[in-house]
Amino acid sequence: MLGRKSGGGNYAYVSAKVKAKKTSLMGDDAYGKMLMMSLPEISRFIGESGYQKEMAELAGRIEGIDLIEHATYRNMARAFSSILHSSQGELRDMMSAYLTKWDIWNLKVILRGKTYGADAESIREDLVPAGRLDSTMLDRLLSMETDKEIIAEFGRMEHLEVPPEAINAYKADGCLRDIEDALDKLYYKRLLMSTDRSSTPKRLFQEFIRREIDTINLETILILKTEGIRGDDVMKYVISGGREIDKKLATQLANADSVSAAVNDLAQLDFYEDIKEALGANTGSLKDLVAGMKRYHIGQAKKFSHLYPLSVIPVIDFMIHKNIEVDNIRIIARGIESGIDRDTIKGLLVI
Amino acid sequence: MPTQEITPTRSALLEVKKKIKLSKSGYKIMKMKRDGLIIEFFEVLEKAKKMRGSVLSDYDQAMQKISVARAVEGAIAVKSAAYALKAGPEVKLGSKSIMGMMVPKVECETIRAPMTERGYGVISTSAYIEEAAQSFEKLLETLVKAAEVEITMKKLLDEIEKTKRRVNALEFKVIPELQEAEAFVEFRLQEMERENTIRLKHLKKKGEA
Repeated sequence: MLGRKSGGGNYAYVSAKVKAKKTSLMGDDAYGKMLMMSLPEISRFIGESGYQKEMAELAGRIEGIDLIEHATYRNMARAFSSILHSSQGELRDMMSAYLTKWDIWNLKVILRGKTYGADAESIREDLVPAGRLDSTMLDRLLSMETDKEIIAEFGRMEHLEVPPEAINAYKADGCLRDIEDALDKLYYKRLLMSTDRSSTPKRLFQEFIRREIDTINLETILILKTEGIRGDDVMKYVISGGREIDKKLATQLANADSVSAAVNDLAQLDFYEDIKEALGANTGSLKDLVAGMKRYHIGQAKKFSHLYPLSVIPVIDFMIHKNIEVDNIRIIARGIESGIDRDTIKGLLVI
Repeated sequence: MPTQEITPTRSALLEVKKKIKLSKSGYKIMKMKRDGLIIEFFEVLEKAKKMRGSVLSDYDQAMQKISVARAVEGAIAVKSAAYALKAGPEVKLGSKSIMGMMVPKVECETIRAPMTERGYGVISTSAYIEEAAQSFEKLLETLVKAAEVEITMKKLLDEIEKTKRRVNALEFKVIPELQEAEAFVEFRLQEMERENTIRLKHLKKKGEA
């Protein structure tokens, strides 16, 4: 699939479909209403907002807050699969490459669950088949005996090869860390390669991905920095291909003595305005910073989707917004269940 | 020591006197130990109070962080990250002596681990999960320290109670009984001496007659 060309895509059809689906997404006011509700009221509200089928399907097995989480994930997975199956040609290739992140997410869930010794049924319950691999394929992975077989089968399904050094490191210490990081790097490498820069929308999609890489790299660098890890130990977790955070800037950030020392280097970034406040707060917590970067990232997708309606951008924009809707519902429901105050929950929402 | 069991002899008196001396010095030492343990207990109590406060605040913070992580990243992601953990916390158990009493000494060996050694991938793990993991490590560390202080406090309480009982037994039973025995033996010996004197006087009178 790497760099494979499959002819032009059915942009008009998929864009129209996505546009129709986007109208059914919850508006910002719905989150405000949900914040005032109790957990049963939220369940009823989301049941009436397009999640009823999944809620009914899972109600026999799961209950309470977990039902909301699983039902919203299942609904999102169905929405993504439906769009993926409706798309053709290069559009399908790009989407499929983009959605591979869910396949990798599921692989991580399977490997972590298996190494821990969790039973297959509980691992299956936690899978979100929102990527290219459907439930049947994920079941096949789950039925594999050993981790080695799972990784090999996943590689065959996704046409990607986990670097042997990551597998050797896993064999040596039994930690999935190197495999997981290698998969994340491979994902972005392949995603960038699956998109050429032959047209403005494709170029914008690639820019969007590269911005996503920037936000991930910045988050990784800052998390490691708060733990006192510097230099090359940070650089090995940096994904190449970022738009603004290139190798030079990443090294500069990685070598900075502290988070506050890295602030000056961050001033030149596009999303500095969105994270300025969080950086200045110096609370020692990165969550405001992460939320700021997320908002910036979504803002970018929203901005370009209007400019290029017949491109991959509106499709990705819908996927991001659907994902955010699922995240926001879960944030509100879990927040209320845990007794987190309304203002904190509101601060966690990505609106 | 009941007076009936004592043979009123000079050697018994010496024995009783020796026991009284020993009991009194034992009583003095025990009393000092009890007072020392009480002082130590109040110091540990202060520490335990602070420690309980730290446990509560760390627990609240950890629960707040895990709630936020479960909300933002989802319970599935948090559970999955927990499954990936490889290294368990390790503590080193030792012991130390407080006024001759052995109390446990617990040292945290590998409770805090850097993110790069937890077992899950660094790139895809969010700041929320990482902050929750760090908060729970801090809570565990505080709990281990609190366990040491709490056990020390409980052992001190037991030891104080035991020492108090010994001091009381010495003060109100052993020493008074020994003193009673001493008085009894002394009285009997004086009595026997008087009897002897009289007997000798009688014998002298008989001899003169």
